[in-house]
Amino acid sequence: MPLDTSTYNLALLRVDGRRWNELRRVHAQIRTQAAADGSSYLEMGHTKVMCVVTGPSEPGPRRGGVAGGGSGGAGAGGAGGKAEVVVGIVIAGFSSVDRKRHGRGDKRTLELASTVANALAASLHTHLFPHSQINVSLHVLSQDGSLLAALINAATLACVDAGIPMTDYVAACTAGSTSTYAANDEGADPLLDLNHQEEQELPGLTVATLGESDRVAVLVCESRVQVSRLEGMLAVGVDGCKQMREILDRVVRDKGRRMIQEGTVEKGVGLDDMDVD
Amino acid sequence: MPREAEPSLNEKQFVIQALQENLRLDGRELDQYRPLELTFGDQYGVADVTLGNTRILAKATAEVTVPYADRPLDGIFTIATELSPMTSPAFEVNRPTETEVLLSRLLEKTVRRSGALDTESLCLVAGQKCWSVRVDVHALSHDGNLTDAACLAVVAALRHFRKPDTSMEGGRLTVYTPAEREPVPLSWLHSPFCVTWSFFGDEGELAVLDATWLEEQVRVGSCTISLNKHGEICQIAKLGGTPVDAVALLQCTNVALTKVKEFSDLVDQKLAEDLKRRDKGGFMAELRAENDR
Amino acid sequence: MPITILPPRSSRPINSNNNSRLPQEDASSSEESDSDSGGGVDLDGDVPMRPRQQVRTTFQARPPPRDLASAVVTPGEVITDDPQWMRGHGTYVAPQTTAIVSSVAGTVTRTNKLLSVRPLRARYTPEVGDLVVGRVVEVQARRWRVDVGSTQLAALPLSAINLPGGILRKRTETDELQIRTFFAEGDLVVAEVQQLFGDGGAVLHTRSLKYGKLRNGVFVAVSGMGGGGGVVRSRRQVWTMDAANGGGQVDVVLGVNGYVWISKHVETPEAEATAAGGSITNMEESLSATVYSSQNDRIEVETMREIARLRGVVMALVENGLRVDEEMVIKGYHEAVEMAMVSPEGPDDIYLGGEKGQQLAAALTGA
Repeated sequence: MPLDTSTYNLALLRVDGRRWNELRRVHAQIRTQAAADGSSYLEMGHTKVMCVVTGPSEPGPRRGGVAGGGSGGAGAGGAGGKAEVVVGIVIAGFSSVDRKRHGRGDKRTLELASTVANALAASLHTHLFPHSQINVSLHVLSQDGSLLAALINAATLACVDAGIPMTDYVAACTAGSTSTYAANDEGADPLLDLNHQEEQELPGLTVATLGESDRVAVLVCESRVQVSRLEGMLAVGVDGCKQMREILDRVVRDKGRRMIQEGTVEKGVGLDDMDVD
Repeated sequence: MPREAEPSLNEKQFVIQALQENLRLDGRELDQYRPLELTFGDQYGVADVTLGNTRILAKATAEVTVPYADRPLDGIFTIATELSPMTSPAFEVNRPTETEVLLSRLLEKTVRRSGALDTESLCLVAGQKCWSVRVDVHALSHDGNLTDAACLAVVAALRHFRKPDTSMEGGRLTVYTPAEREPVPLSWLHSPFCVTWSFFGDEGELAVLDATWLEEQVRVGSCTISLNKHGEICQIAKLGGTPVDAVALLQCTNVALTKVKEFSDLVDQKLAEDLKRRDKGGFMAELRAENDR
Repeated sequence: MPITILPPRSSRPINSNNNSRLPQEDASSSEESDSDSGGGVDLDGDVPMRPRQQVRTTFQARPPPRDLASAVVTPGEVITDDPQWMRGHGTYVAPQTTAIVSSVAGTVTRTNKLLSVRPLRARYTPEVGDLVVGRVVEVQARRWRVDVGSTQLAALPLSAINLPGGILRKRTETDELQIRTFFAEGDLVVAEVQQLFGDGGAVLHTRSLKYGKLRNGVFVAVSGMGGGGGVVRSRRQVWTMDAANGGGQVDVVLGVNGYVWISKHVETPEAEATAAGGSITNMEESLSATVYSSQNDRIEVETMREIARLRGVVMALVENGLRVDEEMVIKGYHEAVEMAMVSPEGPDDIYLGGEKGQQLAAALTGA
């Protein structure tokens, strides 16, 4: 039981020692692969994801037209005057506790890929690169819950690394609730950042927001939960996304600062130097 | 594979501007569904849903088979979707497009994973025999909002379906034909329904229910919420698209709940009508000796 | 967990003992960057490597510059609210406000009233007049599509090349049918960007004797090797140098898009004719069919070795974060030749990766 109810009420600590509003340890790096346009590596607890972005570049042979715009965003290809975001996800067989081979055409994987593509397409300035394609390739090395959130975060970091203009970071995280779906218990606490065990047993959702705002880009809930719980979970999730954005931003700034120090990149005008001549 | 012609820029702008003035092309309110019709076939388990010009047919069937090795006490329940060129030239048989994959996943999460059908009740002999219930969803005509119509069709088909009666005598399983014994309904726990919101406008500020195909091609984002009438969310899927304010999403969920209650009443009502139609007076009517005029 | 996954090791900081080697004044550094590009706005894709001035400084302790962390802006960060500024590349205006917001992670550059953000890394964006090296990817009806490492393939129209038999020869239908005799898929071309399409695609031309098909050498891609932006802009993009160890003469072509071509220098009949004092008309008529030949001339082993050594020098410069331009390449080459002299294998030793490369870079920055 991820929340040993007796001890949870005593100390309000989860199995891994976190409180209800604490994120797991996040470790992120960008520019992990020199040869790619953009690359990143992200760990959220034990969920480890690698991402490589190529582009914007010439689109490959035209894929068959996708009927229906779906949820808007990534479809319609280069001919629509926007760059097309193509996402491929490979989930390693050794990523979960039991070795499981995931086929390429697996529907769950395709759904994840479609979600990441649409989330990115909503933030990237695709209108600047018509007739081109942005290829995002994600590899899941280890899964311990919050998979979709980790994929979105890693893809965002890699796109920032590739220098693709975007409106803001798309940061994601998960939120859950200690209530069961049938009960109407008022004492149910929302939880932030679920691990695998918590995801299996408790209702939870994945939410991604655009930058610091309260605007939700992605919301996926695959478990049964009372409607009244939704508000609490969503609020906690959005707050967690803001914390996530801070972490991602810090990673990018640190790397930028290091690159300037090493002289790989020209130091630009300081922000407070902008006096009118 | 031919592509569907996209609506022209003029059409898109027209639809968007009309929506900004709270006008929809068919004169509906922003949160109003198209006329919904549900009919059942003569066979048990066939449901035909018409939502405006969108038409979906769902058929439920069952057969006895071996259960999965890792779940010996559960029956098998699958939902198969078919989007054929009959609906649109862009669909091809056996070549799942993104639309089909997403629709299939949504139905799976809404009906199967939420436990609407009690799979344990499908077990006949633990580890050896079980019922495998399969629902085939065929889209006959596509004018937007396949999801809501498909979910309604699946739920109606499953509630309408009767599986053959069985009995166990000392290790031997007997399956009775409908002529021998009346088939029995499935063990149904709750009825989930999908409600799809489409978003328009630069910030996704306009939320619209039940988009037609033209509106779907113009929208900037969508969110499908599945609930049952008891107020339990079975799933929510906002898979990307323009970011929408979180408070607005919560309001959408609340409105969705009222719509789901309406759907639920409609399905109950239609099922009751169908039952009455088949029943024809029950036992006493069978024993009557009068001829029909 | 049964498998332990370690995060990727970040690349070693280059010249880690040079951390304090940074310009003191922000104003002076911005002036340096402006003058490096010859004035005007530094647009996306132009990320010059460490400028020469910094290379010359030695290990003098300098006070760390103020606000180094804020020198980097990230997507979604507001640069300024002042409506007097105009926004350039890498920025956008937040809707319903006048705030200029950055859309990439990079450094802010300012030219008069124009604010733009130069990303830490971006693909090459073509500018009119750039000398680029590209590879032919597609052959279409009356033009070729050339990969120049940009977001789209560049176009090289049939009307924009020199046809053998004279520059002013009229293009006939036979030329269109035999288009593959000029450039086929996979050929390398050095060309100049003539104009840009509205969406940023480039149109190339090779209407000069110094442009055309490349042969007798090797290709190096500077971009995509961990370098800053992979773009090299310097005073001279093409030069001929003398190779050591009996290698003869070697041509180096540095494409602005980060594609580099190093080859054996072959005297063409046209060049000989001009050298002999021929007139313009003679030169045109002598544009022979060998210009589009795909056959390599005979290259001596010594020349091949020196070409390979030069390639190693270029790669070592990139891997160690140094600028790739004429001066650095020539200096690096001389340094590499000297290193090979003292190495046990003698002049045969051309390997310059890893530690050897760092040694080379250290020697160059210290020199």
